[in-house]
Amino acid sequence: MNDGQQGEDPYVAVAEGLTKHFKSGPVVVRAVDGVSFRVPRGRIVALRGPSGCGKSTLLNLMGALDRPDAGRLTVDGVDVSRLSGPGEVAYRRRKVGFVFQQFNLVPELSAIENVILPMEFVGKGTNGASRAWAGELLERVGIPQDRHGRRPAKLSGGEQQRVAIARALANDPPILLADEPTANLDSRTGRLIVQLLHSLRDDNRTVVIATHDEAIAAKADLTLEMSDGRLVPG
Amino acid sequence: MKTTRRALRTIIRSPLRTGLLVAVLMVSIGLTLIMITVNEAFGARLDEIKGEVGSNITVRPAGSFGGGFIVSIPVGSSDADSATQGNTLSSTLAEEDVDEISSIDHVASVSLRITVPYAGEGLESAIEPPSGLAAEGADVPQGVMVVGPPVMVTGIDDPSTLTTLGVEDAEITSGRTFTEDEAEANVAVVGEDLAEKNDLLLGDTFELEGETIEVIGIYTTGTQFGDNGLFMPLKTIQSLFDREDEIDEAVVRADNVDHVEAVADAIRDTLGEDTADVTTEASRFESISAPVADAEDSSRVAMIAAFAASAAVILFSVGMVARQRVKEIGIFKAIGASNWHVIAQFAIETAVVSIVAALIGALATFPLAQTVANGLVSDPAAPAGPVGIAGPGGGAVFEGPPAQLQGAGGFLGDVDVAVSPEVFLYALGIAVGLAVVASIVPAWYVARVKPAEVLRYE
Repeated sequence: MNDGQQGEDPYVAVAEGLTKHFKSGPVVVRAVDGVSFRVPRGRIVALRGPSGCGKSTLLNLMGALDRPDAGRLTVDGVDVSRLSGPGEVAYRRRKVGFVFQQFNLVPELSAIENVILPMEFVGKGTNGASRAWAGELLERVGIPQDRHGRRPAKLSGGEQQRVAIARALANDPPILLADEPTANLDSRTGRLIVQLLHSLRDDNRTVVIATHDEAIAAKADLTLEMSDGRLVPG
Repeated sequence: MKTTRRALRTIIRSPLRTGLLVAVLMVSIGLTLIMITVNEAFGARLDEIKGEVGSNITVRPAGSFGGGFIVSIPVGSSDADSATQGNTLSSTLAEEDVDEISSIDHVASVSLRITVPYAGEGLESAIEPPSGLAAEGADVPQGVMVVGPPVMVTGIDDPSTLTTLGVEDAEITSGRTFTEDEAEANVAVVGEDLAEKNDLLLGDTFELEGETIEVIGIYTTGTQFGDNGLFMPLKTIQSLFDREDEIDEAVVRADNVDHVEAVADAIRDTLGEDTADVTTEASRFESISAPVADAEDSSRVAMIAAFAASAAVILFSVGMVARQRVKEIGIFKAIGASNWHVIAQFAIETAVVSIVAALIGALATFPLAQTVANGLVSDPAAPAGPVGIAGPGGGAVFEGPPAQLQGAGGFLGDVDVAVSPEVFLYALGIAVGLAVVASIVPAWYVARVKPAEVLRYE
């Protein structure tokens, strides 16, 4: 579990002037344009805004899936903006868990194998302990044991997203990044997933949810409103 | 180990993708395997021919080649009374020449031979002259008397091998050959046809040049010409025909097949080309092995082409698969996989698929290898059977390839592409190595993609 420690930085993520631009032919898209923010530890943070406002790009920068053009981003004490090579890989393994809109499970692997996968990348074998931990995570997100061996195609959308959340938690990261986690789910399943994400706060874990759903944002501890690549007052 | 297990799971759980990839690789790897195997087979056959050709060098008096079927004896010549010609139609080697040859480096042994075509009294040739020429009124030049092909009387100093012009390793059917103790004895091993023609049995005697000779053995070569002769000790023949110290032919054996040409050159330098004709079996067989050598060249070109085509096909197909799985790679990297993890998984998957494809490809295509090999040999119906007629004077022959080089349909048809475990593993290793190397390139390229880009556009 990601237990909090006394004396640690109250902010799990700090961004200053974070910038990411894309070139689309002659046009420069300012996906993230000089953004600064502080995310408190152990909170649910909603990153709200319309499609194309830069939410996913900001999450990608926080998850080290992309590199900023300028500015500085620190997550759990790691300067993400300067990461590259092995440092970048280690950060993805230990510091963040990612939940995607389209679940992005590996189709050839079963639910439990998908959860074990990030553990394999950090050198934990597929021994009993890893498998037990993966099973525990799946139980916790609401996947009964008789479905642990099923491949993603044999699971419902909600179940797939639950497996994806369990996978994101596999290496017990301090921050979980969820990019439109309910967009491909019906409203009831979406609500259950949001409840599940909220429950993770109990582990002193920070959850950043990118969404354009006002209901999800309303339940968050903190909402960052984005528009045209900038943070705007909510 | 975890990566291997994951790779195997991925292969098994994607049967359609795996099946298509195996099919494509099977064809290209199978083609490469065929060409590697065929090329190996040609190489092995050439080595075999080289080994069979051996390390013998034949030294004969210069200008002793020529002659033909008919023996023409000048009427009224000084030797007509004896009707022998061996010492009248060609020069000979002297024993001092042999001594010089023996002193050359890398000469392992020298065996000597003297051959006398004999048409005199005491022995009647087993071969009748062609009826048209033997008949009364036949068109024969004035002053020439037509007789049958002479009896080939051969003196040898190595009684273990009954070899003479046109005869390779005659087989003794009864009796024995002479011993070293009989180096100057009046004994003979007689050809089957000649013995029958002259009513000679083991232990019988006959007259030759005024001496009584005992038949101690009967041999056969399976040919009419070969069996119309007899073998006697070298010194006995030299004495009978007043040819002391003369040699018609020396068979020199080099200590190593790789020294044959060097020894032959040394003999030419030592004796001079005016004195001796020096031929090696290697040069004699050069033309015979040429079709196999040509086929080996062709198969090498085809092998390289197949190799390049396979590399391109594998690169393309594995690249396509990698591209199709780019999102999966992005997910892997997003949840903590390093480039190495991605490359290793791709390489293992490709190696396993390649091995399966190679095995199936081998089983499916190896039966075609013999057909491909036969198609590449330009002249599979090479001449079969010994070729050659002994001419007068110890020369005048063209000796065909040794019997061991000739198959039922000609020796070139014997290129055997039966796949030994060594060749199979060698070919398999090359094919799989090619596949793995070809897979690393696209995997390495794809492993370098930024997860955000992949996931954004997928």
